[in-house]
Amino acid sequence: MIETPTSRLGGLIVGLRQRGWVEGVNFRLELRSTFGPSDKLKAAIQELLELKPDVILTGSTIETAAVLAATKTIPIVFATANDPVGNGFVESLAHPGGNVTGFTSSTAEMGGKWLQLVREAVPDVTRVGVLFNPATTPRAGRFFLDSIEQEAATSGVSVAPAPVGAPTEIDEAVSRFSEPPKAAMIALVDSFLVVNRQAIVAAAAKYRVPTIYPFHYFMDAGGLMSYGPTLEVRSADYVDLILRGTKAGDLPVQSPRKYELLINRTVARTLGLTIPFTLLARADEIRE
Amino acid sequence: MNETIDQGHLRTPPGRLFRKYLYSIVALAFAALAINTGFDVWFSYREQKQLLASTQREQAASAAIQIGQFIGQIENQIRWLSRLPPELSTNEDERLNAIRLLRLSPAIAEIAELDAQGREQVRVSRRVADRIGSKIDLSASPAFRGANESRTYYGPVYFFGDTEPFMTIAARGVGRGPNVIVAEVNLRFIWDLVAGIRVGNTGKAYVVDRMGLLIAHPDLWPALRRSDLSRHADVRAALDGVGPPSGGLVKEDLSGQRVLSTYATVPSLGWVVFVELPLTEAYAPIYASIGRSTFLLVVLLACAVLVSLFLSRRMTVPIQILTQGARRIGSGDLGLRLAIKTGDELEALGDQFNRMAAHLRESYATLERKVIERTSELEKARDHALAEHDAAERARNIAVQANETKSRFLAVVSHELRTPLNGVMGVLQLLDDGSLGEAQRRHLATAAASSETLIALVDAILEYARLEASAETLETRDFRLGQLIEAAADLMRPQAFDKGLTFDVASDATVNTSVHGDPVRLNRILLNLIGNAIKFTPRGGIGLKAVAEQNDDHVLLRITIRDTGIGIPPDMHERIFEDFVQADDSIARRFGGTGLGLAIARRLARLMHGELTVESTPGAGSTFTLQVPLGRAASGIAQGTVLPPSRRLSVLLVDDDPVNCEVGEAILNRLGHRPTIARNGASAIEFARDQVFDVILMDLHMPDMDGVEAASQIGKLGLPRMPRIIAVTADVSGSARERLAGSGIAKVVSKPILINALREAIEDDPWDAPAAPQLAADGLIDRHFLDDQRELLGPAQIEKLRHLLGETSARLIDDVAKAAAASDHAQLARSAHQLGSAASALGLVRLFDRCRDVELAAPAMSSPEYQNAARELAELQQASMRALDDLLQPAEQGSVS
Repeated sequence: MIETPTSRLGGLIVGLRQRGWVEGVNFRLELRSTFGPSDKLKAAIQELLELKPDVILTGSTIETAAVLAATKTIPIVFATANDPVGNGFVESLAHPGGNVTGFTSSTAEMGGKWLQLVREAVPDVTRVGVLFNPATTPRAGRFFLDSIEQEAATSGVSVAPAPVGAPTEIDEAVSRFSEPPKAAMIALVDSFLVVNRQAIVAAAAKYRVPTIYPFHYFMDAGGLMSYGPTLEVRSADYVDLILRGTKAGDLPVQSPRKYELLINRTVARTLGLTIPFTLLARADEIRE
Repeated sequence: MNETIDQGHLRTPPGRLFRKYLYSIVALAFAALAINTGFDVWFSYREQKQLLASTQREQAASAAIQIGQFIGQIENQIRWLSRLPPELSTNEDERLNAIRLLRLSPAIAEIAELDAQGREQVRVSRRVADRIGSKIDLSASPAFRGANESRTYYGPVYFFGDTEPFMTIAARGVGRGPNVIVAEVNLRFIWDLVAGIRVGNTGKAYVVDRMGLLIAHPDLWPALRRSDLSRHADVRAALDGVGPPSGGLVKEDLSGQRVLSTYATVPSLGWVVFVELPLTEAYAPIYASIGRSTFLLVVLLACAVLVSLFLSRRMTVPIQILTQGARRIGSGDLGLRLAIKTGDELEALGDQFNRMAAHLRESYATLERKVIERTSELEKARDHALAEHDAAERARNIAVQANETKSRFLAVVSHELRTPLNGVMGVLQLLDDGSLGEAQRRHLATAAASSETLIALVDAILEYARLEASAETLETRDFRLGQLIEAAADLMRPQAFDKGLTFDVASDATVNTSVHGDPVRLNRILLNLIGNAIKFTPRGGIGLKAVAEQNDDHVLLRITIRDTGIGIPPDMHERIFEDFVQADDSIARRFGGTGLGLAIARRLARLMHGELTVESTPGAGSTFTLQVPLGRAASGIAQGTVLPPSRRLSVLLVDDDPVNCEVGEAILNRLGHRPTIARNGASAIEFARDQVFDVILMDLHMPDMDGVEAASQIGKLGLPRMPRIIAVTADVSGSARERLAGSGIAKVVSKPILINALREAIEDDPWDAPAAPQLAADGLIDRHFLDDQRELLGPAQIEKLRHLLGETSARLIDDVAKAAAASDHAQLARSAHQLGSAASALGLVRLFDRCRDVELAAPAMSSPEYQNAARELAELQQASMRALDDLLQPAEQGSVS
C-alpha cells in the first residue's frame, strides 16, 4: 500500500480537523504499514486490533479483506476498494451491513473505456495486453476483462491478458507486447501494480508499449496516460460519522464522482504517437 | 418626664415618610421601566422574528435560485448542443462537442444525441466507452418523449449504483427534424452547492425533489440514506404548492433539534429548498436583546433606586428637620433656627417656621417683660399694703395699749379703793359681835350697806375692767339653783316693796336642783336685772320666771324678768348692752347708775356661754331673758351659813397690810382654823420652812417680794408636805393667772375677803385625803343637806326622822347581813337599796353611796365579798348614825343662842 501518504493521509487529518477531531486532543491516530511480505500485513493488523480502535481505515481491497477477516465488530472504512460486493465485503452498495463501508474506485465498465481511450491514442493497435496480478486484482482480473473483451470484439482488437505474480515477471510480461503486431497495454486497478509502478512504467518505456493506467500515480512515474476516478479524500466523512455513533453498515458505499484523464505528450512523442483532438479535448491534464 | 413621654407618643416613627417616598418613586420608576422594556422587548422580539423569517425566506429563495441556476446552466448547455445545426458537423464532431460539454460540466456524466426519430447517434460517457452511430431506438424513452412534449425534460431523480443520485435532462433542438440531447446529470454536485449555502452559523439548507425525496443535505448521512421526507407536514405542504408561513415555522429537524424553518420552490424543477436555523441561534440575538434590555432594566432600576434615595432624602430631610424643629419649639426651645436650603416651598416653609419661632420668642419676651412689670407692681402694692397693715397694726396696738392702760387704770384705782374699803367692811363685820344695841346695830347695818354699795360699785368697775381685758374667768362649783334664785329675789324684794311695786317670783319645780356653774356671776346678773327692773319701773310690778330645762349633759336655765317700766325704744335694744350706755341721758340723770350693769351682765352671760336678750316697748315695760347652760352638780351640795370646818387647819396668812392681816386672822378664827400671820414674803418663806401649814393665803401685792415670787420660793423649799397656796388679790388678769399656775398657786380668792369664799377655798382640798375616823365623824353626812332639811322640816320632825332612820337602818342592816349569809344577791340588792334610800333622807351620803355601790355590784359579787360588804355597811351605818346624833345635838343646843 504505497501511495502518496501526504495527500491521502493528510487529507484525512485535515478533514477530521474540519469536523472537530484534533489528533492528540480528542482522537488518537495509529498508523501501520503493510508494505512488505504478507506476514507483515498480518502482524500490522494484529497490532491494530490489540489497540481496540474505534475505527480502522484501510487503504485498499487487500487490507480490507485481511482486517475484515480478523474482526467483525470494529468498524472498518476502506478508502478505495474494487467491487466490494463481489469481494463479499458488503451486501449491497446502498446498505453494506456488517461492520464495513467505504469508497469504490472503479466500476467494471471502466475496462471498455480504457480500451477505447488507448485505441484513440494508438489508432493502429491490433492487440491489447491486460496487465494485472491475479492475486491482488478483483476476481483475478475478470472484473474488468469482461468489458475489455466486449469492447475489443466491437473494435476488432485481440485481448491478451498478461498476469504477473511477482515484480520480476513484469519485464518479461511487458516485453511480449514490444513485437508487432502493434500492441498496447492496459494496467488494471491492482495494488500490486501500483506498488511496482516504477518497474512497469520503465518496462513500458523500455519496450515502447503504449500503456494506459488506472491512477495518476503511474503518470508521476512517467506513464503515457491514465484514466480513472479522481481519488477524492472523503474517508474523513465516514470516520467522523462512525466516531459519532453511526453504524458502518448503515453507511452506503460511495462510488467515484469524477474521472480524470491524464496524458503525457512527451512520452507520446517518444513512442511516436500523435494524440488526436478528441483525446486532447477530453484530457484533464496534458503533461509535457 | 411626662412631657417627654407624651412627645414620645406623638413622635412619628422615623423614616416612615422617607420609605413611603422611596417606595413610591421606585415603584413608579420600576413600573415605567418595566412597561417600557416589556413593550420594547415584545416588539423587538416580533420584529426580530419577522426579520429573521424574511431573511431566511430570502436565503431559501436564493438557494432555490442557485439550484435553479445550476440546473439551468446544464439545461442551457444541453440546449446549446441540441441547437447546433446537424449539417454543421459529422458524428465525430458531435462527439467532440459532447466531450467539450463534459469538460465544461462535471455534473454531466453522460450525453446522448438522438435524431428526430429517437435513434441514438452519439453517446459520450465518462464511465463507459463512447458509442457512435449505434442507431439504438430510444424513441420510447421518457426523456425523448418528454423532450418532444416540452422544451426541456426533467426526469425524476434516480440512483445509480444504489447510492448516486442522478437525473435525466433532455432538450430538443429547433428546426425540422431536430435532434434530442439527453444528459445524465450526477446530482451529487448539488451537494457541494447546498453545503455551500450558509444559513447563519449552524443553519442548514437541504433540497427535496418533487416526490419528497431528500436530494441534497449538507450532512452526508441523511442525503446518503435517500430519506423520504414526504410524510413531513411542511414538506407535504411545500410540495402541494402552499407557501411558507410568513413568520417561519418552528419544528424539529432531522436530528431532533428545534429549528426555525422556511422553504422556497426551485422554479421549473418543482424541488423545494428548505432552510433551517436552530432556534438557539435564530433567537440568540433576540435573547441577547432581551438580556441587554433586562440588564439595562436592572441598571436603570438601580439608578432609579439611587435617584429615589436621593429624592426621598431631599424631600424627607427638610420635613424631618421641620418635625424636629416643631418638637423642640414644642418643648420650649425657641432659639432654634432651621437650616433648610432646598430652594423650594420647603425652604419657604422652613423660613416661615423660623419667623414663627422668632415671633413666639418675641411674644415670650414681651410676656415675660409684662410679667416682670406686673410682678414689680404687685410687689409694690404688697409692700404698700404691708405698710398700711403695719400702720393699722400699730394703731391697733396703740388702741389696745390704750385700752389696757384704761383697764389697768381702772384696776389699780379699784384696787386702791378696795383696800381701804376692805378695812372698813372687815371692821364693820367684826363690830357685830352680838353685844350691840338696836340703834348701833342699825347704824352698823347702814354703814355696812353703804360699804357694800361702794364695794359693789368698785366691783362693777373692776369686773368690767377684767371683762374688758378678757381676764375674767369663771369660778365654778356646785350650787343649788333654786336657793340662788330665791336668795336673789329675797334680797331685792324689799326694794320693790319699798317702791310700792309687786314682785312675783315663779320658779318652776325644775329649778330646784343642784347645778355646776359660777353662782357668784349668775347671782350678779340676776341682781343687776332685778335691780334695773325695780329702778326703771315707777309703778306696777316685776315678775321673775325661772325654768331649768334638763338636757342630756347640761341644764339650760331660762330666767325672764318682766317689768311694767318705762321701756326701751327699739333702736336702743342693742345699745343698752354697750358700755356706759343707758336708754337716755335723761334717764341717767333721773335714775343714776354707771351704765355698766347690762354690759357686764351680757358679757358675763356670754362668758358662761349664755345669752341675754331684751324685748321692750317704750312705756309698756321690758322683758329681759337670760339663757345660760349649766353643768350638772356632782352631788347635792347647798350653800349655807358659816359652819364649822370639816377639819381644823393651820393657815399662814401673808399680807403687808395690817388691817387685812387683822381681818383675815379674825375670819380664819371664826372659820375654826389656826391662823399664823406673816407681814412680808421673806418671813412667809421662813414660816413655811419652820412650821407645817396646810394652807398659805398669799397676798400678791407686797412691797418686798410679791406673792408669786414668795410662792415659787416656798415651792423650792422641798417641804415634805407642800402646803396649798391660795392667792389673795384684787387683780386677777390672764397673765397673772399664768404666773400663778407656774408658781404652784392653784387657787385665787378675791379681795375683799368674804367669809364664805375663803371657807370654800380653804376646804376645797383635792389633795387632802381625810382619815377614816374623821370621815366617820365629819365626812359621813351632807351637812348642807341636813341643814336644809332641818330648816324645811323643823327640829321636831328631824328628831322623829332620826329615830325612825335608826330603827329602819338597823333592821335593814340585819336584812343585808342575812342576805349576805344566804348569798341572796337579789335580797342583798333590795335591802341595800332600801337602806340607801332611807339614809339619803337625812343626808347620810357615805352610807347612801356605799349602798348604791353594793346594790349595783351585788349580782357580780362572791360570797366573801357579800360578807365584807355587809360588814362594811353595818360599820358605816353605825358611824353615820353617831355622826348624825352628834350633829343634831349641838345644833339644838346652838340654836338657843
